[in-house]
Amino acid sequence: MRIALGIYRGLAPLLAAAFLSAPALAQGTRVEPPVSLPAAPLPNSPPRSGVAPQFDSILPPSIPGDAAVPDLVVDLSQPRVSITSAFQGENILLFGMFDPPGDIVVVVAGPSSRETVLRKERVLGLWLNTGRQAFDNVPAYYAVAASQPLSRLLARGGGGEILSLEDRMALVKSVGQREHNELIRFRLGLVEVNRRDGLYPAAIGQVTIQANRLFRVDLPFPSKLPEGVYEVRTYLLRDGRIVAAVSRPLPVGKVGFNAQLAGWAAHDGPLYGLAAILLAVSVGWLGGAVMRRF
Amino acid sequence: MEIYLPVAEQSMNVFVLLGLGAAAGLLAGMFGVGGGFLATPLLIFVGIPPAVAVASQANQVVANSVSSLQVQWRRGNVDFRMGLVLLVGGLLGSGAGVWLFTYLKRIGQIDFVIAVLYVSLLSTIGVLMLYESLTTYVRRRRNPEKPRGKLHTHFLVHRLPFKLRFYKSKLYISALLPIALGFIIGVLSAILGVGGGFVLVPAMIYLLGMPTAVVIGTSNFQILFVAANVTFLQATTNGTVDVVLALLLILGGVVGAPIGSRLAARLPGVVLRGLMSIMVLTVAAELLFELLRMPSAIYSLGGRELIP
Repeated sequence: MRIALGIYRGLAPLLAAAFLSAPALAQGTRVEPPVSLPAAPLPNSPPRSGVAPQFDSILPPSIPGDAAVPDLVVDLSQPRVSITSAFQGENILLFGMFDPPGDIVVVVAGPSSRETVLRKERVLGLWLNTGRQAFDNVPAYYAVAASQPLSRLLARGGGGEILSLEDRMALVKSVGQREHNELIRFRLGLVEVNRRDGLYPAAIGQVTIQANRLFRVDLPFPSKLPEGVYEVRTYLLRDGRIVAAVSRPLPVGKVGFNAQLAGWAAHDGPLYGLAAILLAVSVGWLGGAVMRRF
Repeated sequence: MEIYLPVAEQSMNVFVLLGLGAAAGLLAGMFGVGGGFLATPLLIFVGIPPAVAVASQANQVVANSVSSLQVQWRRGNVDFRMGLVLLVGGLLGSGAGVWLFTYLKRIGQIDFVIAVLYVSLLSTIGVLMLYESLTTYVRRRRNPEKPRGKLHTHFLVHRLPFKLRFYKSKLYISALLPIALGFIIGVLSAILGVGGGFVLVPAMIYLLGMPTAVVIGTSNFQILFVAANVTFLQATTNGTVDVVLALLLILGGVVGAPIGSRLAARLPGVVLRGLMSIMVLTVAAELLFELLRMPSAIYSLGGRELIP
């Protein structure tokens, strides 16, 4: 499995180059800044309900009649993250081509939901989960990669909708009342836990640019990955301004046997429970009978 | 080799899980207890969420008790009457336990309660067993002939109402006591994911005064049904039973159990109980240390929920 993956990784740039030479892959939507941007779901727009994908920019590829070649073309090495029985986290290669000059920023965000943060405090010498704080609009996954340090790119001003992890977390809404400094501590705790689980990768590989127009970046997804439709947005920046943006949905979900079992466990608990007992009884019985012969 | 666990929602090394199951099976074979008290904390330690660890471990206990019950049944070591009375309490207790588990999980205290229960239970039982095996050892050294006395001591148990005759156990006691005992084991089973053998077996010997020969078989009988009930209730209310995880533990246990019973046959009972008490105390000390020590991670997540 590993070897196959390794070979694949080695081949990926070649494949990318091969694909990119084909004009049919022009999936990027030209975005004229800043007028046409509002159509895209902004992170600070009102929270979207559920994970229903609203990817306006996934329009059909540019019409051949459109003489202009898009400024930005992006593709992923896989159209979705499939959680199979052998899943142990995955790196997905994002690659593409842009019209120079410019810088590339990639933002990957998982579906948002409510998350409760628990804090251990010392009570009578024992460490207990006594503190708790819920937050709304917490992304299940959040990663930002750029071809230059993000601080430098954003410092030039017009980052616009590009949000660093810190900016994104500032949009998280606390549930209920609490003192400001306490809230900040809980929010930092939330980031810390997700970072530890690899859901907010701190050092996502920098976007590398080759031949001034090809770019690529590895997006790491850990094994403990929440399901849902993730959004991968790629921006082309020139002089600190967004010139083009491409958004792609990245569905993350269990497939095959895993999907069936998990669905069964979630939706039909009694039947699943009975099946689990039956399985245990028969394996226990068989095992006992077989092993006694040795 | 890694395998993705669909309900725990993470990948785990297959051999770690098989090994854990084998260790639990080894204990089951050696000491006649389920080994869940060792496997559940270890599962949590390797990163399985406590809710999934407890519920899946209960499923493993089902398989474990079927294998042992097979042997005990054939030897006629099961007191069905006592088993059924215990079971009445056990079913009530496991129902209450699963409810309590769900409540504790909601208020975020389940990890703490699991740890505290384990520490207090294991240390009490460990100390009692160590004391018992040491005194027996010393007494045997001094005068090899064991003085014969009454079958068992008579105390409060024999004065409660609803007395029942248990022929196989040679007992005439109130049914309330086994029901209460079963209830407590049921609650423990639901919250800790253990069969409860490590509590039930000493309680049957010292509290009820049952003859040792029928204790293991009868406790296995009761544990089988209580664990099945816990599995069912956990699957229904919390949806936390991971069959892939449970199956790996079961397969490990199937291999471990006969090795354990073979080892047990070579060692005298006193040594065996001494060994087990030391192991129980080690686990208790480790868990206590975890509670007292400054945690490496102060913050944790209580679980995601879609915005209502």
